[in-house]
Amino acid sequence: MLASDILHLSLHNLMLHKARSFLTSLGIIFGVGSVISMLAISEGAKEEALKQIASMGVDKIIVYSKKPSVFDTTETSSEQASVIKSYGLTFEDLAHISHFDNVGSVVTLRDARKRFMKGVKNVDVKMVGTEPAFLEAGKCEIVQGRWITKLDMDMKNPVCVIGKNVKRKLFSIGAGSVIGREIPVEGKLFKVVGIFENNHGTQFPEIKSPNDMIVIPRSSSDALLGQHVFKIDVSSFQDLKLDYDVFIVAVDDVAFIDNTAKRIARYLDKTHAKKDWGIRIPLDLLRQKERTQNIFTIVMASIAGISLIVGGIGIMNIMLANVYERRKEIGTRRALGAKRRDILTQFLIETVFLTLTGGVIGIGLGVGISELVTLYAHWPVRFSYSSVFLSIAISAVVGIVFGTYPAWQAAKQNPIDALRTE
Amino acid sequence: MSESFGDEVIRFEDVSKTYVLGTLRVPVLKEIRFTVRQGEFVGIMGASGSGKSTLLNLLGLLDVPTSGKYFLVGQEVEHFSDNHLADLRNRSIGFIFQSFNLFPHLNVEQNIEVPMVYAEKSKRVRREKARELAAKMGLGHRLKHRPNELSGGECQRIAIARALGNDPGFLLADEPTGNLDAKTSDEIIELFLELHHSRSATILMVTHNPELRPIFDRVIDLRDGRIISDERKEEKRC
Repeated sequence: MLASDILHLSLHNLMLHKARSFLTSLGIIFGVGSVISMLAISEGAKEEALKQIASMGVDKIIVYSKKPSVFDTTETSSEQASVIKSYGLTFEDLAHISHFDNVGSVVTLRDARKRFMKGVKNVDVKMVGTEPAFLEAGKCEIVQGRWITKLDMDMKNPVCVIGKNVKRKLFSIGAGSVIGREIPVEGKLFKVVGIFENNHGTQFPEIKSPNDMIVIPRSSSDALLGQHVFKIDVSSFQDLKLDYDVFIVAVDDVAFIDNTAKRIARYLDKTHAKKDWGIRIPLDLLRQKERTQNIFTIVMASIAGISLIVGGIGIMNIMLANVYERRKEIGTRRALGAKRRDILTQFLIETVFLTLTGGVIGIGLGVGISELVTLYAHWPVRFSYSSVFLSIAISAVVGIVFGTYPAWQAAKQNPIDALRTE
Repeated sequence: MSESFGDEVIRFEDVSKTYVLGTLRVPVLKEIRFTVRQGEFVGIMGASGSGKSTLLNLLGLLDVPTSGKYFLVGQEVEHFSDNHLADLRNRSIGFIFQSFNLFPHLNVEQNIEVPMVYAEKSKRVRREKARELAAKMGLGHRLKHRPNELSGGECQRIAIARALGNDPGFLLADEPTGNLDAKTSDEIIELFLELHHSRSATILMVTHNPELRPIFDRVIDLRDGRIISDERKEEKRC
């Protein structure tokens, strides 16, 4: 029997019972639907993970200062007026950590803790002192003007480079180019020399996004604004002293990033009396997220597996009934010259067609499920050609696995018995 | 081949068939021996239970003898594989059934094509042949109809057209008029006679209808699994 004839015949037989064929393949539809949505969601998670890696870099450890929850009360007693409080990462910490094994470079950030106003409103921007290397370490790009230079550092120039949101937040609409404008801070004027942006959604602990930063040379920050940070509240006045807010530590070998982070943590634990620091490994966050997604993937995979097996058994059942119902047809075909092989292929192809059709509908269902998940759980989804191919392959395999037995039953029918039935 | 078969189409040599039901052995055919030559129109007659159907199954290669030998066009079929038997059924035998056994979901043209499909003939050749045969059966205008839209007589004509698709060595008809009224029966018998005369087709027809006795060249009577008479009509042997 020619292949084209087998295909035509099988399709023809399926089209005779459209409703039955559809109900029969429901299991496959749901199974493939789960497979597609599962893969779309885990693919989406992977993509987001990659984006996160891109936002911080896998080779980075972020060490940051954290205001301890309870300050030592011994020295301040009842009056909290004007006592210098010191906490966070220090010069010594930097010197030590820089010399650890596997530590490549350390970029520091220090928030000057200045308030900025636009008219009478506070605006949420931070003035941060840092080194030229921050441009690369913070995954930022210059969009206009220039970045701070080594010369700026050496000369303690009163210049600043602003994040892309700062222009909107700080200057009036229609300000035109802000390059060359000056930002006043405590009587000093910082000249805007450039605008930069970060397109990776990078967020630093306590300081947030680089796009909201006014970046000034670290040396200018110290020289013009001083080491101390004064904080004035309604009831109290605090003089805080801290050397650094953030270290962006780049490691040489990512394989040992956990060890290096542990070492830094152990060192800080020993040297700091209070827990006034925190440590974050972007890679670790990723892993955590991946674990959550994995649970989801396992659940979906189980649903997919069970649906496919149950669906497959359902199809086998229907095909067996089908074979019984069509004994006379099979007998007549055999009498007219069909070989066992022809009957076997006919029924097998019929089953595979059934599962493939189910698979195609299932792909549609899977896309629907994924879209719903995005809508309600805000998980990113991503469809890949490979998941479509995989689903088609799974459908075909289910068809072959569960279609073989009924097809074999049909093929081994004795044509005499088959002919006798009316 | 040591023996010469000449124009023999079928030769049965002491063919027996015994069914085993549990411990019981039921002999259905006992030492059947006959030959059919090219161009003969043979009626196989007998009451029900005489072994007609079993003989038909053996002739049609749907079943194998318990003992004895069946030569089909000089070939001893005993040791043929299932595939080989299917091939012989397909190319050498034209089956015609009492209840037509047409495929209800295929149209006339497609029904006639079925044996040619299994003979792996190309679509074009099949279609041409199917149309030619349908026209010959007087159904050229019914090509796209389904069997349930046709009368019994028309259905049997299609079945006959189908049987002729691969130009078989002989036609094997099982009570072909059993489901038809008298008038259509006559028409179908006419058709068989016409095939017999114009194409000198070899036809074996199994029937229990004694009225048909005169039409055959030769009648083999079966009773209790044995041939009790095998008569040729002298005037037809020209």
